[in-house]
Amino acid sequence: MIGIVDYGMGNISSVYNSLDYLGCEATIINSPEEIEGLTHLIIPGVGSFRQAMQNLEDKKFITPILNHVKNKKPLLGICLGMQLLATKGYEHGETNGLGLIEGEIIPFEIKLHVPHVGWNNINTLKKHPVVGNNVNQVDFYFVHSYYFNVKNREDILTMTEYEISFPSIVAKDNIIGIQFHPEKSQEPGLNLLEAFCEWDGKC
Amino acid sequence: MTLRRCTKCMLPETYETIEFDDNGVCNICRSAEYKQGKIDWNKRKLLLDDIIEKHRGHYDYDCIVPFSGGKDSTFQLLYLIKEYGLKVLVVRFNHGFMRPTIEENVQNTLKQLGADIIEFTPNWKIVKKLMKESFIRKTDFCWHCHTGIYSYPIRIAMKFNVPLIFYGEPLAEFSAYYDYLNDEIDYEDEKKFNLVRNLGISADDMHGMINSEDDPVDKRDLLPYTYPDRREIKKANIMALTLGSFIPWDHVAQTELIKKELGWKCDDLEGVPAGCNSSCEKIECYMQGPRDYIKFTKRGYSRVSQITSFDIRTGRMSRAEAEKIVALEGRRPESVKLLLEYMDMGEEEFETILKKHAIPPYVHDFAAEKMAEKTWDFNYWYREKKQLS
Amino acid sequence: MLKKRIIPVLLLKNGRMVKGKQFSNFRDTGDPVSQAKIYNAHNTDELVFLDIDATTLKTNTLVDLIKRVSKECFMPLSVGGGISTIEDVRNMISAGADKVIINSAAIHNAKLIHDASNSFGKQAIIISIDLKKENNEYVVYSHSGKKREDIDFLEYLKMMEEAGAGEFLINSIDNDGMMNGYDLELLRLAESNSSIPIIICGGAGHFEHLYEGLNAGAHAVACASLFHFGDNNPTRARSFLLNKGIPMKNLKGIIF
Repeated sequence: MIGIVDYGMGNISSVYNSLDYLGCEATIINSPEEIEGLTHLIIPGVGSFRQAMQNLEDKKFITPILNHVKNKKPLLGICLGMQLLATKGYEHGETNGLGLIEGEIIPFEIKLHVPHVGWNNINTLKKHPVVGNNVNQVDFYFVHSYYFNVKNREDILTMTEYEISFPSIVAKDNIIGIQFHPEKSQEPGLNLLEAFCEWDGKC
Repeated sequence: MTLRRCTKCMLPETYETIEFDDNGVCNICRSAEYKQGKIDWNKRKLLLDDIIEKHRGHYDYDCIVPFSGGKDSTFQLLYLIKEYGLKVLVVRFNHGFMRPTIEENVQNTLKQLGADIIEFTPNWKIVKKLMKESFIRKTDFCWHCHTGIYSYPIRIAMKFNVPLIFYGEPLAEFSAYYDYLNDEIDYEDEKKFNLVRNLGISADDMHGMINSEDDPVDKRDLLPYTYPDRREIKKANIMALTLGSFIPWDHVAQTELIKKELGWKCDDLEGVPAGCNSSCEKIECYMQGPRDYIKFTKRGYSRVSQITSFDIRTGRMSRAEAEKIVALEGRRPESVKLLLEYMDMGEEEFETILKKHAIPPYVHDFAAEKMAEKTWDFNYWYREKKQLS
Repeated sequence: MLKKRIIPVLLLKNGRMVKGKQFSNFRDTGDPVSQAKIYNAHNTDELVFLDIDATTLKTNTLVDLIKRVSKECFMPLSVGGGISTIEDVRNMISAGADKVIINSAAIHNAKLIHDASNSFGKQAIIISIDLKKENNEYVVYSHSGKKREDIDFLEYLKMMEEAGAGEFLINSIDNDGMMNGYDLELLRLAESNSSIPIIICGGAGHFEHLYEGLNAGAHAVACASLFHFGDNNPTRARSFLLNKGIPMKNLKGIIF
């Protein structure tokens, strides 16, 4: 059973709809107790890092999420959800993240348009069971103004270029974080989600 | 006018989904190379064995074979009966344009191989409306046939509870909607139906387009062309596969085989020079001439380019030989007259629509057209009767 | 690198899809959910739904439609048609839309754009502008081309950008449905007077027109008649543009 955390940040129905379309058993998580029985957990989200961490704390989601990871079960963070995996975020001031993958969330300071919106391709740096061989050079749909400045290069799975190079997928043990929106990226995105749902958390 | 063509085969830039690489070789050629070298056909055959054994004996029939009587479906039937000894339900969607030779072939095939056959011919009055509307919108009058062939057998599969369906030729053989490169199994699912079969018009769409207050159309009349609901298909465990995903497809060898084993007869084609149709394709439909001609007026190539391209890829013809044959393509068949009768459309309207929908950069010179030779059975083809008042 | 986009526009009237010429003479072009599924099968870059019967917003037709479409389509969805309050914007986004398209309401209410952009992010706000050429000048029209507006086009572009618009959807009423090509002069004018992406709409009849639009500086090309009336589909359009060197979305992975 795959749980999608609803912590009041953005529309989670797209993620739910895509899993439903794929035939993966999914449920929307409204309370922390529901997390324990899950096999897979997804943190989606759009919006402010600070507000997101505040909401997670208020709804008492943080401990169950960290326990899910400790129990070696697969965790997927999408867009803002991916950024929350970091040590710290700098949107609207400094806020602590979940601290699961070392690094910081910092704003794009570039000449090109911000936010980074549209179809852009990813470049694979290493192999991974969820990502497989099918996504190198494929375009996915991005919408974000901040990016994950990862500390350890081995935590980066794919990079993307938008005037600068930034991590588009990060992965460590049973955790995977995707900057773009797989639920809005058509077939390649759905394939990724399906692969996540079938993953046992091992690399 | 000259079109850019693949440096290896004869397909031009106006061919749908074609992409050229840095050497000017097209993606269909590249996909074919992959098919010849890199697919593990042994592995795929084992997969086929497995799928078949999972279905054998569990239902009233082991599988359905959608069947026209043409070279592909005849081969599929022969293969599944001889190689696997399956109890097949043959389902034939009759588009309304079957030729005498093909009817003879169907009789011979079914009587020699032995199988139950269900044949369905839809309401001609509705078919005429569908032909006209799809021609006006898409310059392709075959909507009823494309949608019927890929919906109707699935509807029968659900009615009779026979979940396994075998279509034949994989799309990767001649376009890039699907290719051999990503190890894909070609399923005949709703996505494919919407992508390549229904011209971007579902039965629901079409009903609204042809239904009007002065000339109402019963929604039920569109049922044979309606792809079943995705969730219903999943519940019924329908598995609609293309045989060509599991065994390497070789049109020419397969045609030789059915001729030898079943006495299957070839036929001539309007607009295709004699001796050019190496694998006897499309002999089952007498409207293939106008269909092919329409393609030529829009895109500047015809079946002849496709057949010769295929022959080049399989090493049966050199590009120089192909060029000579291709120079003969594009003649106008007599049966265009019949098409205009069926659609109740004048020549001028027909040409106006075609001119408007040409695919750049091709521009057709209607004035410079030559006529194609009639086939032997031209006079047997249906002529519209004058309406009785 | 960001890729260029092809965006089919789906016009809605009385629960069916329609297409017209120069904003009139509408013909039925299918059922909206069926058409959305078809575009999904083509892995279309983005879809735009415009309700030209703006009053149906009050009966929630558009909201229901987006909810149904979200179950079948997994690409960015943009929605418009009578959106005039922040509540309207919220309803659309909650129902599953990624972006909202605002036309008539924005002309005299920059504050709406400002507030919506702040609440939902500027990438969620598309300002749609319909224009007719009169005496060699481009004139802004609202209410599906029925009301002539007094506002200066270039000033309006600037005003909307400052208010927080994410993209402009520039529509030529003269070229709409005529299938003779985009108004490239209009496109160039808009492009040189704005720093946010421009989506050009109105007049595409064959693939060469799409190329012309993208080549002349459009970030994305919107079309309707092209796919409804012609042996065309988004997959073929993409191949055509790729062959001309335009960067389009790639779906096939290259073995790593």
